[in-house]
Amino acid sequence: MANTKGGQKKKNAIADFFSMLGKDLKEIGVTFKEGDFKTKISFLIFGFGSLLRGLWLRGLTLLAAECGLLYFIFSFGWSYFSKIGSLGTIATTKQGRKTVYGDNSFLILLFGLLTLFAVIAFIAIWRINVRVNRNEELIIKNGRKLPSNKDDFKSLFDSNFDKTLLALPVAGVFVFTVLPIVFMICVAFTNYDANHQPPSNLFTWVGIENFKNLFSFGTAGFGGTFVTVLIWTLVWAFFATFIDYFLGIAVAMLINKKGIKFKKLWRTILVMTIAVPQFVSLLYVSKLFANDGLINGYLLKWGIIDQAIQFWVNPTLAKITIIVVNIWIGIPYMMLIATGLLMNIPEDLYESARIDGATPWQMFVNITMPYMLFVTGPFLLTQYTGNLNNFNVIFLLTQGQPKTGNLVGGAGRTDLLITWLYKMTINDTNYRMAAVIGIMVFVVTAGISLVVYNLLPSVKDEEGFQ
Amino acid sequence: MANTNTGSMKRKRAVGNFFGYVLLILISLIWLFPYFGLLMASFRSFDASIEYGGVVDYIIPHTFSLDNYKFLFNGQTNYVRWYANTLIISIFVSLFNTCIVLCVSYALSRMRFAGRTFLMRFWLVLGMFPGFLTMICLYFLLKQMGLTQAGAIPGLILVSVASSGMGYYVCKGYFDTIPKALDEAARIDGASRARVFFQMIIPMAKPIIIYTALVAFMGPWCDYVFASYIAFGHDASYNVAVAMQRWMVVGDYQGYFTRFCAGGIVVAVPVTILFMFLQKYYVEGVTGGAVKG
Amino acid sequence: MKKKLVSVLLTAAMGASLLVGCGSDAAQTAQDTAEAVQETATEVAETATEVAEAVQEAAGDVDPAAYNGKEVKVWVAENVVDFTNEQIENFKTAYPQYAGVNFTVEPVGEGDAAGNIITDVTAGADVFGFAQDQLTRLVTAGALEEVNPDYLSAVETANSAGVVEAGKVGGTLYAYPMTADNGYFLYYDKSVVTDPSTLEGIVEQCEAAGKNFYMDMTGWYQVAFFFGTGCQLTYDTDDQGNFTGCNVDYASDKGLVALKEMIELASSSAYQAGSSAGDAVNYAAIIDGTWDADTVKSVLGDNYACAKLPTFTGSDGNTYQMSGFNGCKLLGVKPQEDEDKLQICDDLAYYLTNEEVQLARFNAVGWGPSNLNAQASDAVKANEALSALADQFAFTIPQGNYPGDYWSRAESLAGDVKDAFQKASDEDLTAALEAYQADLESYAK
Repeated sequence: MANTKGGQKKKNAIADFFSMLGKDLKEIGVTFKEGDFKTKISFLIFGFGSLLRGLWLRGLTLLAAECGLLYFIFSFGWSYFSKIGSLGTIATTKQGRKTVYGDNSFLILLFGLLTLFAVIAFIAIWRINVRVNRNEELIIKNGRKLPSNKDDFKSLFDSNFDKTLLALPVAGVFVFTVLPIVFMICVAFTNYDANHQPPSNLFTWVGIENFKNLFSFGTAGFGGTFVTVLIWTLVWAFFATFIDYFLGIAVAMLINKKGIKFKKLWRTILVMTIAVPQFVSLLYVSKLFANDGLINGYLLKWGIIDQAIQFWVNPTLAKITIIVVNIWIGIPYMMLIATGLLMNIPEDLYESARIDGATPWQMFVNITMPYMLFVTGPFLLTQYTGNLNNFNVIFLLTQGQPKTGNLVGGAGRTDLLITWLYKMTINDTNYRMAAVIGIMVFVVTAGISLVVYNLLPSVKDEEGFQ
Repeated sequence: MANTNTGSMKRKRAVGNFFGYVLLILISLIWLFPYFGLLMASFRSFDASIEYGGVVDYIIPHTFSLDNYKFLFNGQTNYVRWYANTLIISIFVSLFNTCIVLCVSYALSRMRFAGRTFLMRFWLVLGMFPGFLTMICLYFLLKQMGLTQAGAIPGLILVSVASSGMGYYVCKGYFDTIPKALDEAARIDGASRARVFFQMIIPMAKPIIIYTALVAFMGPWCDYVFASYIAFGHDASYNVAVAMQRWMVVGDYQGYFTRFCAGGIVVAVPVTILFMFLQKYYVEGVTGGAVKG
Repeated sequence: MKKKLVSVLLTAAMGASLLVGCGSDAAQTAQDTAEAVQETATEVAETATEVAEAVQEAAGDVDPAAYNGKEVKVWVAENVVDFTNEQIENFKTAYPQYAGVNFTVEPVGEGDAAGNIITDVTAGADVFGFAQDQLTRLVTAGALEEVNPDYLSAVETANSAGVVEAGKVGGTLYAYPMTADNGYFLYYDKSVVTDPSTLEGIVEQCEAAGKNFYMDMTGWYQVAFFFGTGCQLTYDTDDQGNFTGCNVDYASDKGLVALKEMIELASSSAYQAGSSAGDAVNYAAIIDGTWDADTVKSVLGDNYACAKLPTFTGSDGNTYQMSGFNGCKLLGVKPQEDEDKLQICDDLAYYLTNEEVQLARFNAVGWGPSNLNAQASDAVKANEALSALADQFAFTIPQGNYPGDYWSRAESLAGDVKDAFQKASDEDLTAALEAYQADLESYAK
């Protein structure tokens, strides 16, 4: 039932899109047909109509955008964009002892994509330009007064304030987040690795070969390793999230307990783990637990053990140790949140429970936990996805060690997908597989978020609890 | 009857509190132990004739010395430069990120425009891509602009600020709790959107501004992966995390353990103090963010 | 194969010559060889100086203005930054035409240098130091220029043959040899370990004293066992640095003996993984290289001693001498788009690896020279750690080219030795060795 509904929704969305596109095209046609010569010339020279109508602010802005984009596309972008199909063909050569670099596949792909974005932006601005002309003509036709330049300028701080506020952030995200992500998705379909390293070597498109490699379960294939690492990633995130969650609430309740003094002191001590940069504290802790570290050293000295505990060597122990150390990192954070929330639970709920003779444990299970789970559901979800990608804890503590011959691609037993990906990019410069793993990380994160989010009781429906 | 009852209750509570204190003290010891070890190691000399500076199997140094701290500041390394770099990055990132986050949050919370929900969803999805994926790409983008190696500091600031818009979540949640009636009243009196934003919302958003700035300020102190990529072997552009991480991980630096500890303490103390002062706002921010989800 | 034999012989000769220097009662034959080596070395050095002069004269014709304002970036390990800066000043005096060139020296560790340069060749240093195991990776990525033909014969004759061989891929020399001390041997505490000749003895004494014995078992170190029992592992490469063949016989009885010895060592309570003295704690013996000599000396003090690697008694009852790699550090020049700049870089790299600078580097930071004359100097011969290394070099093989995957895969084996293999049966171990060998073979295409 839900499925068909979703399907219908999707179909509707697609239909909507096409009908919108059709309307748009029609409007452009009408604009051209009914427009005067100013409007018609504006189809080529942006803002021309506005300029002649005296609206030089918007006219000049449109014109400047056109000139800027065209200049970028033709003086810089085109030389890259034209080669994007092959990612370059001219090899690097030697002239005497001098090196003459040929095409750089990396830059062709990167700036080719940037140019593609510029072309899309050009079309979008062209569309805005057409619409502006249409609006101006309609206003004139209806005998109303055109807004002045001053009005235009003022609107940027009032009705169009959103555009002023969002222009820079959106542009920034496009260039420094969207472009790189699109780039890396493209890399997943190329053979960019240590043997095809620009500028000395070219790389090229290879289709879905890398994905096949990820799901091939032979000896050299990545399949087995991928599944092993993925399972540990999911298990780790589960424990890291829920153990910290419950212990954090417990510690918060302990500190909040009536009769406990120096509440602020206890909190401050715990909170230090948030304040001290992790590369300092975790690198130190990793040495602490080493076979020859302080903990083993003292236990041996005091005769409690006669052989060092293999905290980082034994894979199972290493995983447990990581989770335990993560408690040290995670409890304070959860404790802070829980402290705030516990105060919000209406005291009369507890009062009436006490009158009914409920034990503290019953009150915790029946009042505190349901309330906390309800309120913090989405937070738990973000914590979980955050832990899926918790690079610092794993990398600073074990760097994915211990390694084993059963895993390929340099992966260790405690590697998460994210640390494995990091090793592939930094140590092996195996970008093609790193990009594939990156896409998989996204699929896993997005998949879990989507499923869990739909299962959560609606956040807005806060009445549901009372 | 009632009296004895309260008496036993009191006794019960006293016993409970006693165990509570024991537990809290125990927890405090566990939580503070690594810092204690770090502090002690930082006072151990690295001068071989006095004591060994590498990893050892005892906590309390045999002789206390300030050698490590002297080493950091006597110009043998670029430590002061690295520290200044980190501080510059932190301050600028904190400043610019906060501005951007405020702008984005206001637009998304108060204004309704075409593509608003699409933008929010799109950014949410973008956030699920792992950041490392994009490092090499960002490196070459910055290189094209001359913002790597010697220009790594502005480069790092630029990248951090450029993508900060996506972190609007907590702040927008806070803005949502400010009643809209306030804006509307002001707008009826003829105030523009910009005026509402600057003269009404921002003054009311002090806790969230401090929270955003604090979180942004603390980020760069931990950034060693991307920062080392962008600095690309240019020693003077390192931040403390990149430079000091080498002391622990790279084999060229033998016996740098105590120097690492001292450097770590020098990094941790100011950040911790700042954090302690602003803790109230931090709590407000994370709690609000958690509930909003 | 012939070249390899020559290099083994030469290394052995070199080892013998150093032995004499450390004052132990070496055989007369060794002394003879040493003298012979020294004579050839002197001759070689003479030709080398001549070549250098000739080149310098030729360079003198060029207008120095052509070099003015050029930027040359150098990456070396942190502890030789000051030293390199000093030497560059000397270099400018020796080559006055480069007075207007801007040289910058940055501390970038050898591992990082290779990684960075591979990521972006164009932004990397023009002249950089690296360890031999990175060579093929760098050549494949196009990050190394061939050694200037003007200097080729001088470099080849002035340095020990094994080292020159190590700088070659597919017969082409890609870098200037800088040191010949990339190998490992035993440092030990005289007061705890009385007889450093057998592994069992050392481990036993360490256990008894409650001290640690450190040895890494990753790719570079584990060959001490495998080569020790007579196994081999080498790769063939073509001109581009691609691996074309793999010669390996780990999946054999010899391999099993080696693996079982590793497992036995790892099971000792004294054993600790790692061969980095800076991270080692409470040790009485550590297998490490010359670069950590000062660190070990500062820890062990008067009890500091060095020796070649010990022998061990295998599970088959035979006694084997631990082997290992002997390798070197090289100075590479990046391909340049500007011929003048390439000339500067070549001259600089040649200068920084000549006899005098190698000797000065040894005196400053203790790096063992690859230059034959420098090796023959009294100061080098008197160095305890280098003598132990030279002794050990008689039992090692020159480190050729290995694919990056090898190091990663070998690290995985090391992980298993400490854990999964501890309770494994002989059959399991044989199967593991077969899988290991199959993987190693798969890296050559």
